[in-house]
This record gives sequence, structure tokens and C-alpha cells, in this order.
Amino acid sequence: RKRLPPRVSVWYYWSMGITYTMFHGRVKVKSTAQQEEEKRKEREKKLKVFVSARDAVLKKRSAGENDEEALQLTQQLLSSNPDFATLWNYRREILMHLETLGEKEDVQKLFETELNFIEACLKVNHKSYGSWHHRTWVTARMPRPDWTRELSLCDRCLSLDERNFHCWDYRRMVVKASGVSVEQELQFTDRLIGSNFSNYSSWHYRSTLLPQLHPQSASDSAPNASSSPTASPQTYSHRVCEEQLLKEYELVHNAFFTDPNDQSSWFYYRWLLGRAEREEMISCVYVSREGETVAVAFSKPDHALSVGLMLVLDGQPLQVDWRSAHPRFRHSPVWLCDLPAGCISDINNEHSLTIHWTEKHTHRDCALYAGSVESWCRDTATDQELFRSELSVEKTSVLQAELQSCNQLLELEPQNKWCLLTIILLMRALDPLGHEKETLAHFQTLKEVDPMRSSYYSDLCSKFLIENTILKMEYAEVRVFSLSNKNLTTLCHLDQLLLVTHINLSSNQLVRLPPQFAMLRCLEVLEADDNAIENLEGMYNLPKLEEISLKNNHIFLNAFLEICKLSDLEVLASCPKLTRLDLRGNPVSEITDVQFQLPQLLPMVVSLSL
Amino acid sequence: MMYERGTQVKDVIIKHDAPSTVFLDKHADYIAVYGSKKDDYEYTLSEYLRMSGIYWGLTVMDLMGQLSRMNREEIIEFIKSCQHDCGGISASLGHDPHLLYTLSAVQILCLYDSINVIDVDKVVDYVKGLQQDDGSFVGDKWGEIDTRFSFCAVATLALLGKLDAINLDKAVEFVLSCMNFDGGFGCRPGSESHAGQIYCCTGFLSITGQLHQVNADLLGWWLCERQLPSGGLNGRPEKLPDVCYSWWVLASLKIIGRIHWIDKTKLQNFILACQDEETGGFADRPGDMVDPFHTLFGVAGLSLLGDEQIKPVNPVFCMPEDVLQRIGLQPDLLS
Repeated sequence: RKRLPPRVSVWYYWSMGITYTMFHGRVKVKSTAQQEEEKRKEREKKLKVFVSARDAVLKKRSAGENDEEALQLTQQLLSSNPDFATLWNYRREILMHLETLGEKEDVQKLFETELNFIEACLKVNHKSYGSWHHRTWVTARMPRPDWTRELSLCDRCLSLDERNFHCWDYRRMVVKASGVSVEQELQFTDRLIGSNFSNYSSWHYRSTLLPQLHPQSASDSAPNASSSPTASPQTYSHRVCEEQLLKEYELVHNAFFTDPNDQSSWFYYRWLLGRAEREEMISCVYVSREGETVAVAFSKPDHALSVGLMLVLDGQPLQVDWRSAHPRFRHSPVWLCDLPAGCISDINNEHSLTIHWTEKHTHRDCALYAGSVESWCRDTATDQELFRSELSVEKTSVLQAELQSCNQLLELEPQNKWCLLTIILLMRALDPLGHEKETLAHFQTLKEVDPMRSSYYSDLCSKFLIENTILKMEYAEVRVFSLSNKNLTTLCHLDQLLLVTHINLSSNQLVRLPPQFAMLRCLEVLEADDNAIENLEGMYNLPKLEEISLKNNHIFLNAFLEICKLSDLEVLASCPKLTRLDLRGNPVSEITDVQFQLPQLLPMVVSLSL
Repeated sequence: MMYERGTQVKDVIIKHDAPSTVFLDKHADYIAVYGSKKDDYEYTLSEYLRMSGIYWGLTVMDLMGQLSRMNREEIIEFIKSCQHDCGGISASLGHDPHLLYTLSAVQILCLYDSINVIDVDKVVDYVKGLQQDDGSFVGDKWGEIDTRFSFCAVATLALLGKLDAINLDKAVEFVLSCMNFDGGFGCRPGSESHAGQIYCCTGFLSITGQLHQVNADLLGWWLCERQLPSGGLNGRPEKLPDVCYSWWVLASLKIIGRIHWIDKTKLQNFILACQDEETGGFADRPGDMVDPFHTLFGVAGLSLLGDEQIKPVNPVFCMPEDVLQRIGLQPDLLS
């Protein structure tokens, strides 16, 4: 098969603001000595022309000459070198100078001519940052910009390449400057989506237009929802009123049924299914009489000091120092403080505690009763709409119909990973616990049909299993979290396990107990046998932890398979009540004299198994 | 083009005799002489980005332990002569200053531990002066706004230890306003997600300690979906793979703690296949012409994937980790 001769490519790719006309898509071809010589001569000639023009231009500029000749020279160079940014700068200087010389009409003509020139440059290279920015500069500056013309340029450009983001960005500027309506632009995306394959840019544009046109009404949105004007579009799913949202499902549905392998509609669909940003709130307050500590959990990671956390005990504000659960994190969902010694230690006393979040004008109360060693106040995962949104009757019926259709599609295309993943997401939106078995089966299939992303699917499946376990735990009103033998590859939602006393993660594929594990402030017993754990960072300062079982892990097996450092176990010394530790079946057992050294490192551990 | 059930999947096919080991010595030889032939066509036409070109060449040489083969004195003199009165630095002599080349220059001087040959205070003033009321940064006085420039600004200031010179809260607010429905980032608010912009924005958020604002699971999914059957990565949906995305995408994944969501072996095979065994250097895709830009990102990508023959590279700054350790700069990454 003959290969194409090397040529300056018409594909331009992005690279830190530099468009490479010469470094992209140039196929390497073997040619004869004669062909090489001819090529060399041609390039030498081209180079001479370029250098001569460039030197002339820079000389004129140094001399401060802003004249017609300079316009000519820069024109000659820019047409085929639009990334030579300094030339556009010079051109702007010349134009600004000429502006001062002419009447308004002359200036208008001057800039109109400039627009013609830019269009010619765009024809050669429709992806040069320099050309598009110069056009933006010109239209912003000219007496009477013709926005209709500009919009038409965008239409033509996008019909040649619907993914040209320079053009889309320019279009957005034109729309804003000329007051084109959001409806009109939505219709524009309708037309493109209906007629083309490569639609990602159009779906993306829709995601930004919908919330502007069909915002959620004030009564719909949650009371403390973040209402910053710069809130990102990924939160807008909730911000689109439900009627429009349901219509949008139909639009996307048609798209992926027309072409089930067009990935853009599946990405967009995931966004439609996605949850809205939860309202920011204090989700849990926990008080320990014995430890004389208070733990506060936020609905999302934040910084206690900057959000203004204030503690009031029995009606008196208390000055306390807040710290995150693990020193690694400046932003954390869980914050801790120590109460002054003795102020709640008497078991016969009742206390009332209030945590104020001054920035959000919200607070949580927590009563510590006489005779109680601890107390808490917590919204459940369901209350918080942690894992799925409240569904209206209409939305439920739409999603159920969608699930049915996707299942039909899956029968026709059993290897379609987009369909498989979407079915999983639909099931989770409708009934995460009810569909658990099917979900696991689909994940298995996903890993088979899309093996490159196995790790992603394993982690996502782990996340969903953890969510389900949290829900089950809450329904059963117990403080035991048990998820063993489930191929767990990652841990998440650890901020929801603040009240858990027993955790069983045995027989999984975990490689670490991450720093976030330090948020399990009530943990008494940890079972994590038969994993691949090589990192115990998260076993930090757990005040109630008494027993750890870590049989058959990789403590500590590093990449070089060298002798592990005993000092990596030092973190366990930060757990004051730790008395039982089982490390059988770990590389650490192989260290010489470990049975003497380890007790010195962890003197309070009375039952040590190696 | 490959066809899959009637729908075209844009991708390349790697030949069975494609390179499967990394030829570091060949690449070092390629870079060492690149630019010595000053009358070369491509070299001259790329003068408008010369400062960045030097940064790419020096960084890849340092990653391969071959920095000493480059002409340190000549380069330092060159940089000095490119600093303008306003404090900004240009790509080359006779060109205008810009944030892009100011960053490249500062990166080079960090590699050479010679930051004080330029007027650092004026650089800081220049960068500070480019911040707009909405927190965004223009690239130069001509007013183009882009999240790339937000990254250039904070990276420059971080390397100089002067992050406090700008309004960080506003800068963060602007970048977050560019977050899209898919968790990614574009040039400006409303712009489509693109791997290059995502690299700049996640790098920005790492430097400014705001990575917790990223939806790592959602963005990580979008990023791992850049991997095509050939093993190579593209920059956004329905585009061809390109070795430079082995950097933009991979570094982003590393920053947000999701690098294991990529098939490492397949990506490695793709990157290695982009080498030219004859000339040294990497091309954008197998069989194409090589250049220093793709050579850096091919080698940096391999470093991120754990190749022990190459120095560890920092995913935020795309500079050797040991240089950043020397400066004392260790931006947070998500785990």
C-alpha cells in the first residue's frame, strides 16, 4: 500500500496554545537521494523567502513604522504562519494607528477588510488561536460589527468541522454580543444533533443552554443549595426544571437508539441521570464523653476554619481548636476538637451542645444525656439523598421505561458497554438495593467487553457496594459495616462511617487503608484479612480501636521487594486502646527478631500474632 | 480508520514490528543536535515558540540524565535577552512577551538553578498585571483569556515562591466556572472539555490546594475513556490518538489519583511504537515524523507509567521531581 508523501498537514492539534502546522500528521516516507535533494532545495528556497520577509517586518517594527507596507508584509507571512503571534500584535498596532487617521466610515471599512483577511487565514488554518483571537479583537473594536455575518461564518465553519472548539467559543462570544436567544441556540443544536455523527460539542453546548432556559424554580431547589453565580454546569441537572429534563431524556434516547455506538449521547445521558449537588450542611455531630472530643461531619469536604465552625456548650460559646481527622488534609468532611478537660466527663451530668456553621447560617444540636458515654445527631444517607435523588412519580415512570428500552437494546447489542453502564446507572437511580445482583452481573460483563477499563469498573462497583452496605446498615440501625468477599478494590464514603464500631473488609482486593480511614472515630474492631494491604496510613489516632486483624496481607511489601521497614507500623502507636493485633501471613513476619522489636514499638499491644 | 459495527472508530493500528523498547540514547542524540542546524526550515518557522521548544528539549534531556549535553550558558544568555521591560518574557529575540513563554523561561531557569539571572520581581509584576476582575488571566496585553493562562500564572508564581501575589480565591473561582457537565474543563466558561485544558485546570487546582473541588470519579471516567483500542490516548471523544495526550491525560489522571484506570501495558506499547528507531525522537503517532515536543511527552508519559530508566517526572509541572524537591515544591495530588 503506497504511503502518502510528507506534507504539511491540515490537522492541527492543541498544544499549550501553539498550533503545529508542521509537527502533526506528517507521515514519514522513504525517498530516493534525488527526491531528498529536490526537497532540500525547495525548503531552502522557502526558508529564504520567509527569513527575508520576517527580517523586513521586524525591522519596520523596531523603526516604529505602522504603515501599509507593514500591513502587506504581515499579511504575506500570517496567511501561512498564523501562529506567529507577534505579527498579529504588530498588525493590531498598525490598525490602531490607522484608526486615528481616518473618519468613522474609513475605520469601519478598514476593519471590514481586516475581517476578509482573517477569513482567508481561517480557510488555510481553521484552528489557529491567533486568527480567532484577532477576529474577536476586530469585531469588539469596529464601529458597526455585523453579527449576522459572524454567525454565518460560524455556521459555515461548523458545517465543515462540528468539533472545532475555536469556532464554538467564537460563536458563544457572538451570541452574547448580539443577543441571540437561548431558544435559537438550542434549536441550532437540535439541527446539528439530528444530522451529524460527531455531536459531542453540540451536546456539551446544550448542557450549558438548558439551565439558562429552564431553570429550576426556587421552590424546587433545596433550601441551602449553593447558589453562587459561578456554580458549575455539572450541578445544573438539578437546576433544570423536571418537565424539560424528562423531555431531554427522550431526545437523548432517540440519539443513542439511532446510533448506539455514538458515545457523546451516552456521556450526556449520564449527566442527565446524575445527582444534583447536595445542599451543604452538617450531616453528623458526635460527642464522646470519655474522649472529651467532638466530631463534626460536613456533607462535602471543607475547611473548618474558613467556614466558621463555632461550638456552644450549655449555652456558652467555647473556644476550641479544630483539626481535620488526618493531618494530611486541609480540606476534610470530618473535623475534630477536644473539649476542655473535665467539662463533660461527669457521667451524671447532662449537656447540650450546638455546632454553628456561621457561613451557612445553619447549626446542629446534640444532647448528651446523664448516664450516656456518647451521643450523636445524624441524617441518614437516605435523608441526605446521598446516593440517589428523590424521584417524582413522573420521573420514576420515565426512568423505568428507559431501563426497559435499554434492556431491549442490550439484547440486540450484548457487547455495547455504553448500554451496560447506562443500565447500571438507571438501576441505581431507581432502586440500588433491589437491583444489586443484576448490577454485579453487569459489571462482570462490562469487564469482559471493555477490559482496558477493568480497574475503573472494579472501583465503581466497589463504590456501589459500599453505598448499598451503608444503606443496609442504616435500615438495620446497627453500627456494624460488613463487606467481605466482594472484590472490593477501593474504599470511599468513609465520612459516612463516623459512627461505625465494627468493620469487616476481609477477603477483598484492597491495597491500602487510606488516610480517610481516620474518620472512623468510633471504630473498635477492624477485620481486613486476606487483602493486599501494604499501607496503613489511615490507622491514625483512632481513639476506640482495640482490635486489628490483618492476616494475609502485604504489610509491608514494596515494589522492590526489599526488607520492609518496621517503622511503617509506628502509626498504630497513635491508637491508644489498641491491644490485639494479628499480622500473621505478612512479609513483616519475616523480619529478624520482629517478635521482640514489634512489642517495643507497640508496647500496649498485649496480644500480638505474627 | 477502524470499523466497528458500522460506526467508524477513529484509531491507528500498530504494526507488529513497531518498536517495543525505549531508545533513550537515540532520543538524547536527536535532541542534542536539534537546533544546531539553525538554517533548518521547521526550526526557523517555529521561532515563535522557541522558549517552549528549549524547555521541551532540556526537560527531556534532564529526565534522561543528559542535561549536561546542552549549552547552558548560551541558553541562559538567550533568556536574559528575552525579558522585556514589562517583566514578561518572549519566545525569542524580537518577539513579544507572553505568559506561555514566561513560564517556559522560568521552568528552564529552575532546571538550571539560575532563576536570579532575570528580574524575578518584574516577572511577578507582569503575571499579577494579567489577572482580570473575574479572576481569569489574559495571555498578554492583547486580552486573550484561557484557562491555560491561569495555569501558566500559578505555575510561574509557584516556582518563584510568590503565589500570594495574585488574588487566588478569584483565580480559583474562574477556573471552577469552566467545569463542565462531564467533569472536565475548557478554555473559558462554556467551552468544551479538552484533555489539554483539563491538565491545566487540574494542575492549577493542585497548585492552589483546591483539588477537592474536582469530581474525580466523573472526570477520571471521561479521561480513561480517552484510551482507544490501539492503547493510545486521544484528547476528547472521537479524535485520533496522539502521544502528547499520553502526557495531558495521564498527568491529569495522576493528579486526581485515578491513573490506574488506564490500561498501562497497552499505553506503553503505543508510546513505544511512536518512536523512530532511525532518527531518534517520538512522533505524534506511529510512522509519522518526530519532533522535540512529542519526544518530551512520550518520555514523560513513560516516566509516569513507572519506567525506571527515566527520572520520575512531576505530573503538575512536567519537570523532574528532583528539581522540584530542590525548590521545595510538592503540590498535593489526590489519592
